Amino acid sequence: MSTTTSNPAVAVAAPLSAGDTIRRSDRRLGAIMLAPTLVYIGLLVAVPFMLALFLSLTNSSAGSLEFSFVGLANFRSVMASPVFQRALRNTFVFTLASQVTVMVLGNILARALMKSFFGKSVARFLILMPWAAPISLATLGWLWIFDSTFSVINWLLLVVGWLQPGQWYYWLGDTTLGMIAIITIHVWRMLPFSTVILLAGLTSIPSEVREAAAIDGAGTLARIFQVEIPMMKPILTVAVLFGVVFTFTDMSLVYLLTRGGPYNSTHVLASLAFQDGVLGGDVGRGAAVAIFLVPVLVVLAVVMLRASRRAEVV
Amino acid sequence: MQTRRQFIVRGGKLVAVGAAAAAVGPTIVVRDAKAAGQLKILQWSHFVPAYDKWFDPFAKEWGAKRGIEVTVDHVGFADVVPRATAEVAAQAGHDIHMFLGLASAFEEHVIDLADVTAALEKKYGKEVELARRSTYNPVTKKQFALSDMWVPDPGNYHKEAWTKIGMANGPVTYDDLVKAAPEIKKAMPQMQIPIGIGLSQDIDSNMAVRNILWCHGGSIQDKDSNVVLNSPETLAALEYTKKLYGVGMNQAVLSWNAASNNQAFNAQQTAYILNSISAYRTAQDNKLPVLENYFFTPALKGPTGTQLASEHVMSGYVVWKFSKSQDVAKEFLVALVDASRDSMLASKLYNFPSFFGAAAEPNTPVAKKAESGAAWITAQCNKDPFGSNPVDKLALLAKSLPWSTNLGYPGYGNPAEGEIFDTYVITDMFAKAATGALSPKDAMLEANTRAKQIFDKWRQKKMVAGGGKDK
Repeated sequence: MSTTTSNPAVAVAAPLSAGDTIRRSDRRLGAIMLAPTLVYIGLLVAVPFMLALFLSLTNSSAGSLEFSFVGLANFRSVMASPVFQRALRNTFVFTLASQVTVMVLGNILARALMKSFFGKSVARFLILMPWAAPISLATLGWLWIFDSTFSVINWLLLVVGWLQPGQWYYWLGDTTLGMIAIITIHVWRMLPFSTVILLAGLTSIPSEVREAAAIDGAGTLARIFQVEIPMMKPILTVAVLFGVVFTFTDMSLVYLLTRGGPYNSTHVLASLAFQDGVLGGDVGRGAAVAIFLVPVLVVLAVVMLRASRRAEVV
Repeated sequence: MQTRRQFIVRGGKLVAVGAAAAAVGPTIVVRDAKAAGQLKILQWSHFVPAYDKWFDPFAKEWGAKRGIEVTVDHVGFADVVPRATAEVAAQAGHDIHMFLGLASAFEEHVIDLADVTAALEKKYGKEVELARRSTYNPVTKKQFALSDMWVPDPGNYHKEAWTKIGMANGPVTYDDLVKAAPEIKKAMPQMQIPIGIGLSQDIDSNMAVRNILWCHGGSIQDKDSNVVLNSPETLAALEYTKKLYGVGMNQAVLSWNAASNNQAFNAQQTAYILNSISAYRTAQDNKLPVLENYFFTPALKGPTGTQLASEHVMSGYVVWKFSKSQDVAKEFLVALVDASRDSMLASKLYNFPSFFGAAAEPNTPVAKKAESGAAWITAQCNKDPFGSNPVDKLALLAKSLPWSTNLGYPGYGNPAEGEIFDTYVITDMFAKAATGALSPKDAMLEANTRAKQIFDKWRQKKMVAGGGKDK
């Protein structure tokens, strides 16, 4: 006896298989799990960004909720400003110099931490401390270390004879020395993060690979540059990209250490945006300065996503 | 036994219920009865810590007598403006906000305090002119803030250093600084910076460069708010500073913050600074070796005899329009001015009353109150109740009003002057000229361009006058 329906007008949906039910529930559950993060990112990142974009096209000021549309006037004014041009250059110099230094030193530290030695756990704790220290407290300490009158670095250099009587380094009163001070503190701050990531990368390389390289006659440098670093490329990419984004957008260090001085010559884009927009009250102008961070960050975000994807596939 | 899926789903439901309860609960249980009977004040952490120890209990006791809960929050002076910006954007926060410089940029969001000022003038006579010019906008005719105090900015000089070079009473003119600097370097080689005038992006440097500018006949605006920075007088001030920097200063002054000149003087690393008496009180409190050589001079005179110094601090209390306790706030401000004597003493003579009459002897007729108040202030300065040796070390402060002026001199303080102050346009001009980063003329022109941009922007908002005679 046939059990199938013979009337073609009545189309009965095929019953869902167990796999279909699970997939649809998966999607729903996934959406629900992602929702809080998306709301968070939307409210705290997307909304402020769109607001900044909008405000950069207005004459908004800190003391007023009313403003007018001024088109690209803020951008024209900002781009013509020597202070902005300097800040843009400083941002790239600061980012490049600090990240190169962090990568080199991070590699050295990570390799050292791979070895066993007495006091390794203490050394690891000390290396991680700068990362854990609140930036405002740390910068206050560094303010004294680099103080133009009372610097302990200068005192030390005098004692060892590097500085002669009458010679002095005015760390925060000189544009070049000021940038060196900023980069030094930032490297000190970022080193633990990079070291930990690179250490993870190094320990993930199978020991057989190193042994094989040694058997094949590869020296230390050849092993590092031709075997280990290529194998660590996904990890290195992530570390560099995180570091670059963090450095590029940092304002607190410059604001706390030099306030952009001497004569606005050590500003980076973020600190200049704060000075103009919040301290100076010209919100439109401050937003315009901050918007210049976007093209670089967009490119970095794309590269980061591609790098992550490639690492997943591998 | 649950599957992983069931566990996650159940956990998610629990979290959702908990979050909903947390969001709903307080709004049901706690009613918003807080607006009535409350007053929230935000003000700076005073440079003389003893003042805050007086102010907070004073405010709370005042409120307790009236059944009002008073909260006082203190922030660093650098955070005063950012906090105001945040509260205006949120349209919520404190009722009273104390500004240290110009509150004029926030004029749209504060109530008019003309009635408070009128009541106080009826009680005590007029406020000092520099306070009026810092708290009133003649364009909008709005009393946007009330000042209860201002702070003189004398020269602080190291007696031993200046005595060694034959100027035991310190400098009198700006030229004296240039002449003295190389001599001080020879006489006191351990002093790193003979003349400690900051040229950095900080509040003290902002005041100092304006003093030099005004005493050489220059200014940012004229009395009608036209930008006049581009002038021979400004150029003269920059040339002077370049000379002074070459003989008596070094790059350290380009990196100073608000505490640096205090620290340098108290460490005897410099022989002259421009500062209020806060550094001196610190030296007293800590019994520092510099104390026996710590002395004061009035504002220095420029080449044509002009003798002016900016107020070191000018209080400007505003009441936000979004405040639900506006009337209470006004009453408190009146009470604060009423307590001017206590305020001055609590600050160890740092604060000077903006209404001199508020420090008058009781029962003095209104017409005589300002005079009586001035006499009381003079008595305190002539015989410092806080242990100066000699007791009349601070006597010159009693005569500081004639040589003290407001930001915005010779005009009124306004939002443009405030923005120029907060973005260090003038300190940068002086620093670039002094160090040779730009020629004095180029530094002046660069700053003038920026000043005009800022003024034009505020003129478009109809909050600043002038424009027809910008240079």
